[in-house]
Amino acid sequence: MHGRVKVRTTEEERARKEKERQEKLKIYKHAMQQIFHKRKEGELDKNLLELTGKVLSSNPDIYTLWNIRREILIILKKSDESEEELSQLYDAELQLTEYCLKINPKSYCAWHQREWVLTTRANPNWEKELSLCNMYLKLDERNFHTWDYRRFVVSQCKPPLKDEFDFTTDKLMDNFSNYSAWHYRSKMLVELYPDVEGGRPIEDSHHKHELKMVQSAAFTDPDDTSAWFYQRWLLGAVKTNIEVAVYTVSPLKTTVAFSKPVNESYVATKIRLFINNELVNGKWQSCSGNQYDVLWIFKHNTEVTDSLDVKMEYDNENGDVQNIPSVKRNGNTYIGKGEIDFQRKYSKPVIEELINQLDSCRQLLAMEPDNKWTLLTTTVFLHCIDAKQYHKERIDNLHTLKSIDNLRAGYYDDLITKWSLEDQLIMDYKNDSLDFKIKFDDKITSLPHLQYYSHCENVDLSNQNLLSNVLASLELLQNCKKLSLANNSLTTLQRFPNLNLEELILTGNKDLDQEELEAFKKNCDYSIIF
Amino acid sequence: MDDDLPTDFQVIVVGTGMVESIVAAACSRIGKNVLHLDSSDHYGGLWASYNFDGLQKFIKEVNSDPKRQLQVYNLAEKWYIEKESAQDEKKEEGGEEKPEEAKAEPAKKVWSQANFSAEYRKFNIDMTPKLLFSRGPLVELLISSNIARYAEFRCVTRVLTWLNDRLMPVPCSRADVFATEAVGIVEKRQLMKMLTSIVGYNEEEMNNEFKDWNDKTFKEYLAHKGLTPNLIHYVLYAIAGGTNNMPCLEGVKECKKFLMSLGRYGNTPFLWPMYGSGELPQCFCSKSKTLNCDHLVIGINECPKDLISPEPAESSDISKAVFITNGSIMKSDKEPLTLLRFPPQSDDDHAVTVLEVGPATGSCPKGLFVVYFITNKVKDAESDLMGIAEKIFDMSGGDQTAESEKPKCLWSLFYNVKDTSAPVASVADCVHVCSGPDAGLDFDRAVEQAEQIFKKICPGEEFLPRAPDPEEIVFEDDVTHGPEFQREHDDEADGDAPKE
Repeated sequence: MHGRVKVRTTEEERARKEKERQEKLKIYKHAMQQIFHKRKEGELDKNLLELTGKVLSSNPDIYTLWNIRREILIILKKSDESEEELSQLYDAELQLTEYCLKINPKSYCAWHQREWVLTTRANPNWEKELSLCNMYLKLDERNFHTWDYRRFVVSQCKPPLKDEFDFTTDKLMDNFSNYSAWHYRSKMLVELYPDVEGGRPIEDSHHKHELKMVQSAAFTDPDDTSAWFYQRWLLGAVKTNIEVAVYTVSPLKTTVAFSKPVNESYVATKIRLFINNELVNGKWQSCSGNQYDVLWIFKHNTEVTDSLDVKMEYDNENGDVQNIPSVKRNGNTYIGKGEIDFQRKYSKPVIEELINQLDSCRQLLAMEPDNKWTLLTTTVFLHCIDAKQYHKERIDNLHTLKSIDNLRAGYYDDLITKWSLEDQLIMDYKNDSLDFKIKFDDKITSLPHLQYYSHCENVDLSNQNLLSNVLASLELLQNCKKLSLANNSLTTLQRFPNLNLEELILTGNKDLDQEELEAFKKNCDYSIIF
Repeated sequence: MDDDLPTDFQVIVVGTGMVESIVAAACSRIGKNVLHLDSSDHYGGLWASYNFDGLQKFIKEVNSDPKRQLQVYNLAEKWYIEKESAQDEKKEEGGEEKPEEAKAEPAKKVWSQANFSAEYRKFNIDMTPKLLFSRGPLVELLISSNIARYAEFRCVTRVLTWLNDRLMPVPCSRADVFATEAVGIVEKRQLMKMLTSIVGYNEEEMNNEFKDWNDKTFKEYLAHKGLTPNLIHYVLYAIAGGTNNMPCLEGVKECKKFLMSLGRYGNTPFLWPMYGSGELPQCFCSKSKTLNCDHLVIGINECPKDLISPEPAESSDISKAVFITNGSIMKSDKEPLTLLRFPPQSDDDHAVTVLEVGPATGSCPKGLFVVYFITNKVKDAESDLMGIAEKIFDMSGGDQTAESEKPKCLWSLFYNVKDTSAPVASVADCVHVCSGPDAGLDFDRAVEQAEQIFKKICPGEEFLPRAPDPEEIVFEDDVTHGPEFQREHDDEADGDAPKE
């Protein structure tokens, strides 16, 4: 075996490594002891900076040491150090964090320390920070710490937003599986290209461009969820107005339901109730007690009797005054309804793009009928383009999705409930009935848009798939007298709200505890059938 | 001869071609006594890289020696530029400065033959230009054997194809497919689906999916899968590097090889050796130390005909060409390093592999590109390749500063090489004949053959085990080293070995 190089065996190598490790541990323990001793003695000086620096350079994630360093730097700032010396200290601190970030680019405390130095020192060099971000994002384009830090830097040095927008484009071209980049892009997009004339969040041509870009990503790799999320965000970027859904004025109560949650000052300034042409004064109270709510109760002292002229004025978001007359129903109840429309309103060019993309999706679907993402996107497009026209198709698709993507069956059930209810609401709002009954075959699993039925007296939610977790939202049925929850899957009544009911039907919820029911009944002043 | 020179060797390797060099390195690595010889004054034989002067010498030698023309023939060199720089000549534009001193940056340099000679050292022109697959056997061998530290590489930056009468980038990675506007949205899905399924198939799924495709072509398979003609073009010609007759399973294998090598270094699956492919045999040569012996390993072109058993199987020779141009075939922001697979022009035609390398690879001076063409010979190199050259270069000579779509060709060399790449058996057990360069894109066949020869010489031995790094080496004569600076220690004698 002459002429062969002798090489350490793995056993020798392991022993050597272990020895090195022990050595390091000894040094570390000694240093930490020294540091805490000095701190206890109040020796917050440059020597302690040096000691902590040494330990941090191999263990960047010891928060305590960074805290000690900040303490020292604050003390030194207050002492009679010269500007130049201070500046050098801060430079050294930046160097240390940069060194530590090389060891662990996801070190929360090292990034934080850097932020602290820059906001503390005089004349921070933001351009240098931006290029540091560039470097770290080149090494790992998905490090959200760096993206976060970048947003901080950008908020300070305010580079042209277009540059930042283009930066996200570059990063996405390298690798589009990047939530951080898509997210940052969405922020830039609404800042850079809002639709000033149309009042939409994004200007048409850019909205279209982004939709194209994200579709390209989604079709390249449908299993990557980041693109789908951005697509959903884009599709949701439409103008939505706050509308009055329905108001009810009865001898017992006056309520107003809105399409979106609003706060008290909004209601108080935008809504005026007139009875016999006289403005009614009173106090607004949210149904849930929260600051923002979709249903508001108006406490006033005007008596509600027969043959009154009840109407409401609403200063809507377009700056118009909307007059909402009322119709008298049985028992001196006056009901007024607003415009109802759940269709998302895109600009014409965007709609054309959506129709285009729908077509691509359909082609793809013909090739891969069981592809979950294609089917879901097709369905969402149908919903966005013309919900009414495509109602049956989108509901059928959701049924298919339930079977091919069983893990998310509950999500699809909720979507079926929501879209079917939106469809039914349009019909229900055309008549003056005070009854609410589910008129489609699918069983509902949740109670979306319930404020739209806040005026109803007879609510029949029997034979559905409701669980006890929806009970709290029944609070929106402020004018309900008869409520049926028969044949659902309720398990408890714990969160059942306080309602002025006459009758509550609970039959056929076989998992409801009898004892609980008895106790519940005792506390109620209305009849309960179970 | 000096008396001290050893005369007994276990293995003698004649020739420094790729296969010979790997075998020599492998034998030497496990402690065999190896003598490595080459009859010429440079490494590599037909695998060599030449500077411009060396290349001129090579051309002259071949043209004057009929014996060498058994390997290389039809050598045709042609200039498209003036002998001397434009300075003395009365050009219509006039005013052209001496190129070396070009002061205004917008004007393109005007090259003359004299410039080439003056800068001859800056050229590294390959006789056998080849790429490495990032996860191919040669890269793995270079890493596992630790020989990689002798070599430097650059990533191929793009893969192009010729589609609808123009050059087009090939979307081959996920990022490319996302970014490209050349394929429709539904096509993107189809392409990605095809590529991901090819990568993802395990042995069993492969057998299942392709059980009825044994005697059919890859093209038929792709069409069967509903790919559009565009996509078939990309997958078949550009990614699999195939022809219309490529058997299905081979196509799948080639695609897989391509795709598996993505994402290791750079944007494409390929690496190019700095200073040319001719560097690689040298990396292995520097491993072995360098007359009675147990084994003789000999390059086929060095080998006396009576040592080769029967004539190698019917083979087609190779047509090659080298061009020097004043710009890239397709403009790009940064200096590109391009693989272009030119699809076959007719059904039974061969594909042409085109490699374009620039100054950053150490292949040529600034402002120039070296472009290699390789294909299987049909008639002769010039008639096989000129048609394609005319498609991507301006072969007309003339004003080099004129703005044009295509780069100007300044110099060209066409030649044919006898295909000596088929494995060859020898008459004697102790003689192993190494084949010459093949027309393939990579070095895989060379590595495979070297390993086979090695296994025959040294059965049961490991093929190029990892060489130790300097710090892992223990020097037995030198175990006790002085105390470390400023630190008392009680280490055993095996502490850090001194570094050389």
